[in-house]
Amino acid sequence: MLEVCLQKRLAHFHLDVTFTTGQELTVLFGPSGSGKSLTLRMLAGVERPDSGYIRLDGTSLYESALGRHLAPQQRGIGYVPQQYGLFPHLTVADNIAFGLTHLTRQTRRQRVAELLELFGMQGLEHRLPRQLSGGQQQRVALARALAVQPRLLLLDEPFAALDGVLRDTLRQELMQVHARWGITVLVVTHDLADVYALGQQILVYDRGRILQQGTQEDVFMHPQTPRVAEFVHTRNILSAVVERSEAQTLWLRWHGYVLAAPPQPLAVGTSVHLCIRPSQVLIVRPERETTRRRENLVRGSVVRETMQTETYTVYMRVDHSDADSDLEIHLPSYVYYRLGLDRQKRLLVELRREAMHLIPSQETAHHATLPTCTAASLETSARHDGHRVHASPLGRR
Amino acid sequence: MYLTPLFLGLPTVCVVAFVALPLLAIVLKVLPQEHLWATISAPLVTEALRLSLLTSLSSLVIAIVCGTPVAYLLARYRFRGLRLVETLIDLPMVLPPTVAGVALLMAFGRRGLIGPWLQAVGLQLSFSTTAVVLAQCFVCLPFYIRAAQAGFRSVDPELERVAHTLGVSVWRTFFRVTVPLAFPALLSGSVMAWARALGEFGATMMFAGNLRGRTQTMPLAIYLALESDLLAAMVLAALLILVSCSVLLCLRALVRRGEPAAYA
Repeated sequence: MLEVCLQKRLAHFHLDVTFTTGQELTVLFGPSGSGKSLTLRMLAGVERPDSGYIRLDGTSLYESALGRHLAPQQRGIGYVPQQYGLFPHLTVADNIAFGLTHLTRQTRRQRVAELLELFGMQGLEHRLPRQLSGGQQQRVALARALAVQPRLLLLDEPFAALDGVLRDTLRQELMQVHARWGITVLVVTHDLADVYALGQQILVYDRGRILQQGTQEDVFMHPQTPRVAEFVHTRNILSAVVERSEAQTLWLRWHGYVLAAPPQPLAVGTSVHLCIRPSQVLIVRPERETTRRRENLVRGSVVRETMQTETYTVYMRVDHSDADSDLEIHLPSYVYYRLGLDRQKRLLVELRREAMHLIPSQETAHHATLPTCTAASLETSARHDGHRVHASPLGRR
Repeated sequence: MYLTPLFLGLPTVCVVAFVALPLLAIVLKVLPQEHLWATISAPLVTEALRLSLLTSLSSLVIAIVCGTPVAYLLARYRFRGLRLVETLIDLPMVLPPTVAGVALLMAFGRRGLIGPWLQAVGLQLSFSTTAVVLAQCFVCLPFYIRAAQAGFRSVDPELERVAHTLGVSVWRTFFRVTVPLAFPALLSGSVMAWARALGEFGATMMFAGNLRGRTQTMPLAIYLALESDLLAAMVLAALLILVSCSVLLCLRALVRRGEPAAYA
């Protein structure tokens, strides 16, 4: 288990994060410059935090209260930086064997051979890094980090330099490595596709803070702030106001429509962000409008559309409203043609209540960041403990 | 395009001829001489050669040992006064060597700033072989330090950090990662420094004097011999040319083999 609490103040940036993670593959996701790489570097021990702690499986690697700061050599953490950091003057075999100084020549050679085989790189041992493809370079970097049998593996943007197909392959390989080694793996990425493919635990970073921690389901379907919703491409984040609250239904006013949402204890007049993912907007064929009981039907017309390889993205202007409340809808291309959208541009959609996720906008201030381990934020974390699943380490003590 | 031969070719030919002609002249003058071998083995020449090699190599070793940490510090760390330190280190490169010699005399000479203290502990630096080495170090250190600094700066510090996370000590990382990657720069810096030390004249003359066997290096011997024994002066000069040329050629071959671009 990895328990982390870090603060670091730089000239124009303040990092303040707290999280706990276990064996799962954990993805640090967020825009560039949000402090993900800095977190990784501090975990690896190549950058010193201002305060906080880093505890790995019960041993403390950094503890500002005790003045403890282990050198990177003593941490047993594998670190693969962006661009992989291969030693350009050493062959593949020498790169992999670089950290194995304490072993005899015989065992060292054996270990290297095992890793080469594991990553399918037999025959490449005498190549120099520049003679390898991007994917091969990444495998060498992984093999080199794993050679010293670390307890924790840190990868900074591992797929950023690779092209599409190779990314998929290497993501699969990384999943296998994670499953096989049984060590904690932290991956930094700004690519949502990585989060989809890898993330068992997701930490959403923004401006030096963690906005939300959770599983894919949590983060994609239940973002806690509009900002997280934006990062995970929720796309349709609509501003609505609570009209009426009933036991079975929460009624929301939005652009002349009154929409039925899942019940929530919200006061009348509360503003909410109504999130609905583009693939969850249901297009209703006109002749089916009354085939079953439907709610939240919204009419409009297509104002813009783009085509991807297998899907269409359609932007719908809701009748009697402006561009701000346009709905983005993703649909498979065969649906697009079956609906006749290539010919006529009128649309009737249903905003199903099961697909809705509400973020009360007043509370965003409280929810903006996870609690930190500083004394100042202790109160805050205690107050919110009730509805916080991923309590801070202080909360659990 | 018609102008190319005139405006680019002609100056190039002139410059090449201007550099080559004097060198060629010495060789052509020296080779047909009858007493060539006798002159080469004359004490004036051999002693100067021995002393030059001894002092310039000592200076080079000192420059590498003392200059490498300085270069690494300047390449890796940002601190207040960095500019000042860099400027100070550069100064001997632009300073006239005679000025350097006088300055050294004023500092370490018998009546110099710390000369009396050195004398109190039994050290008399001026007009000794040590003084020659000091003078050479003074002028050649910047050449090594600046080249090494550029070399270290070209090595991505991330590589060193990765090495540390692999459990490899700071020292081992330095010698297995940093030095090999900066090697072309370190090598050419060393050669430049050594060449500068070998050719050092002004500062040595002022600070160490011109005593045969003790402070009379090849450039000083040439200066002395020019009045008495022209052939000896020419032989010494030819030797220096030979050494310079071969060092330059070797360096080029070595650097090309380990060019940093080869790793990119």
